[in-house]
Amino acid sequence: MQAATPPPLPPALTPEEAETLAREAGLNELGSVPPFRKYLKDLWANRHLIWALSSSQAYSANQNNYLGQLWAILNPILLVGSYYFIFGFLIPTRGGTENYLAFLTIGIFVFGYTASSLTSGSRAVTGSIGLVRALQFPRALLPISATLTQFLTQLPAFAVLMIMMPLTGEPVSTKWLLFPLALVLQTMINLGFAFYLSRIVNASRDVANLVPVVVRLARYISGVFFSISHYAKGHYLLGFVLLYQPLAAPITAVRESLMAEYEPKLSTWVACAFWAVVLSASGLVFFWRGEGRYGAN
Amino acid sequence: MAPTDATTARPSVIASELDIVYTVFGAKKRGTSTDVEQPFLERILARRSHVGGVRKVHAVKDVSFVVQHGESVGIIGRNGSGKSTLLRAIAGLIPPSGGRVWSAGRPSLLGVNAVLLSSLTGERNVMIGGLALGLSPAQVRERYDDIVEFSGIGEFINMPMSSYSSGMGARLRFAISTAAAPDILMIDEALATGDADFQARSSERIAEIRQDASTVFLVSHSNAAIRQTCDRVLWMDQGRLVMDGPTEEVVSAYEATVRRPAAKPAATPPPDAGPEEPAAQSEPVTAPPLWP
Repeated sequence: MQAATPPPLPPALTPEEAETLAREAGLNELGSVPPFRKYLKDLWANRHLIWALSSSQAYSANQNNYLGQLWAILNPILLVGSYYFIFGFLIPTRGGTENYLAFLTIGIFVFGYTASSLTSGSRAVTGSIGLVRALQFPRALLPISATLTQFLTQLPAFAVLMIMMPLTGEPVSTKWLLFPLALVLQTMINLGFAFYLSRIVNASRDVANLVPVVVRLARYISGVFFSISHYAKGHYLLGFVLLYQPLAAPITAVRESLMAEYEPKLSTWVACAFWAVVLSASGLVFFWRGEGRYGAN
Repeated sequence: MAPTDATTARPSVIASELDIVYTVFGAKKRGTSTDVEQPFLERILARRSHVGGVRKVHAVKDVSFVVQHGESVGIIGRNGSGKSTLLRAIAGLIPPSGGRVWSAGRPSLLGVNAVLLSSLTGERNVMIGGLALGLSPAQVRERYDDIVEFSGIGEFINMPMSSYSSGMGARLRFAISTAAAPDILMIDEALATGDADFQARSSERIAEIRQDASTVFLVSHSNAAIRQTCDRVLWMDQGRLVMDGPTEEVVSAYEATVRRPAAKPAATPPPDAGPEEPAAQSEPVTAPPLWP
C-alpha cells in the first residue's frame, strides 16, 4: 500500500561535485570559518551594530526597578560599606596600606567591573541565542558588545570612584590621568576573557556554572581587600604571580594612578599592557576559529 | 527548466548531504508513548543517560539540492518535519552538523520567530535589526518612519518589546526584516502574521521584495500561498527530503498523502512516531508515569 509514496528523488550531486559547482559559481560556504582578514573587516563594518547593542543594553540594564541607573552607583557603595565593616574592623586586612578606605574602594569598584565582564562575557553567545539564530553577523561582536556594555554600565561607578578619592583624603594629582589608560587596558583584558569564555560556554554550557566560582576565587586572590605585596612577603614566586596575574594587575594600576602612597611602577603597567594585548588578540583568534559553530546548541 | 540540472544555470544555493542535529536543553524525556513497549530496564537506562535534561534532535537528515538564481522555492511538510530548521541552515543561522551549504550573497531570513531584544524598546530594536541586516545608521534613520508606520504599532514603539502583544511583536519584526532588500529572501510563515489588513499589506511587501531578490524560499502550511508564489517545491518529511520538483506535482502528491491517513489509518504509520521527531510538542510528555 505505497500508492502515496512520491517518486524517487533525482540522484543528488556527490559532495565533490557540489563543491566544484559552488566554487565555479563563486558561492560562500556557510557555517565555515571565514578568512581572518575578512572577519576583521566584517567586524569593522558592524561597528555601529556593536555600539547600538552595547549602549542600548547598558541603558536597559537597570531599567526594571524604581531607582534605575542609581543602582550602578549604590551597589558598589553598599559593597564598600560591608567590606569595610568586615575587613576594616572584624578581620582587619589593612596591613601595608595607609589609606585603607581608598585602597578597598578601588579594589571593589575595579574588580566589580572584571567580575561582571567575566559573567556576562561567558554568556555572550549562549545568552543571545535568539539573535544568533535570527541574524547573520560576525559572532565576535557578541563578546565585544557584552564587554562594552559592562564598561558603559560601570562608567557612573568610575565617576563616583573619582569623587570618593578626595573624600577619603587622597590629593588630586596629575597622575590621575593614568586612570583612563588603566581602564582601557583592563577592558582589553576583560574582552580577551570574554572571547575565550563565550566560545567555551557555547561548546559546553556546564562551564557557565563554574564562572561564578572562579570569579569568587579571583576576588579573594586578586588583592581586592588586602595588599598582596604585604601579605605575600617572603613568598617571592607566589607574590609575583598573584601581583601580576591579569585580574590583579589592573587593580594595582588603578591604585598607582589614584593613590598618593603608590608610585606608578613600570612593571605594573607593562604587565597590564602585556595581558591586554596578548589576551584580547589571542582571544579573538580563539573565538574566530569557532565561527560557524555558534548557535549549534 | 529542470531544477536539478545544475550545470547549465547559475546556482545561488547549494546544499550537499546536509545534516542538522541540535541539542535541546531542559527537555528531559520521561516515559512517552513509544517507551511503553520497551522493557523496564531499557527504560531506566534510557532515562539515566543524561543527568540534565539533554536531548539530541536530528532535525534534518541528508538533504541535498541545488537552487538557481531566479527560482522561487517552497518548502512544505508536516509540523516538525524540519522545514524551518532547513531554512535556518541555508540562511547560515544554524551550523550544519554534517554536510555543507553554499550560498550567494547574504541570505536574509524573514521569520516571525526572529527574536529581538525584548528588554529594549521597539525603537532600539529597529536600529539594531536594521544594522544587523546590513543597513547603515543613516539608512535606518531614513527608513525608520516607514518601518514604524508599516508595523502600525504607533505609540508602543517607545516601550520595551516585552510589553507588546504577540501580534505587535511579529508585525514589528516583519517590518524590520523587510526594510532591507536581500539577495536571497527566506520567508518563514510570515504571511500568517497579524490581522487580515496586515496580511494583505505584507503579501504586497513580499511581492515587492521578490522582484529585487534573486532567489526566494518560502516555508508555509498554506498550499495556496505556495502555489501562488513558488515554481519549485521541496517536500520534507521527518527531516528527509522526500520530493523535489515543480510546484503542482509536489503539492498534489503531498496533498494526497495528507488526506490518505484519515481514510485508511492503517495504510501509513503516523509519521510522528519517530523517536527523533523534532516536534517535541507532538509527543505526550507526561504520558504514563513511571512510578505509580
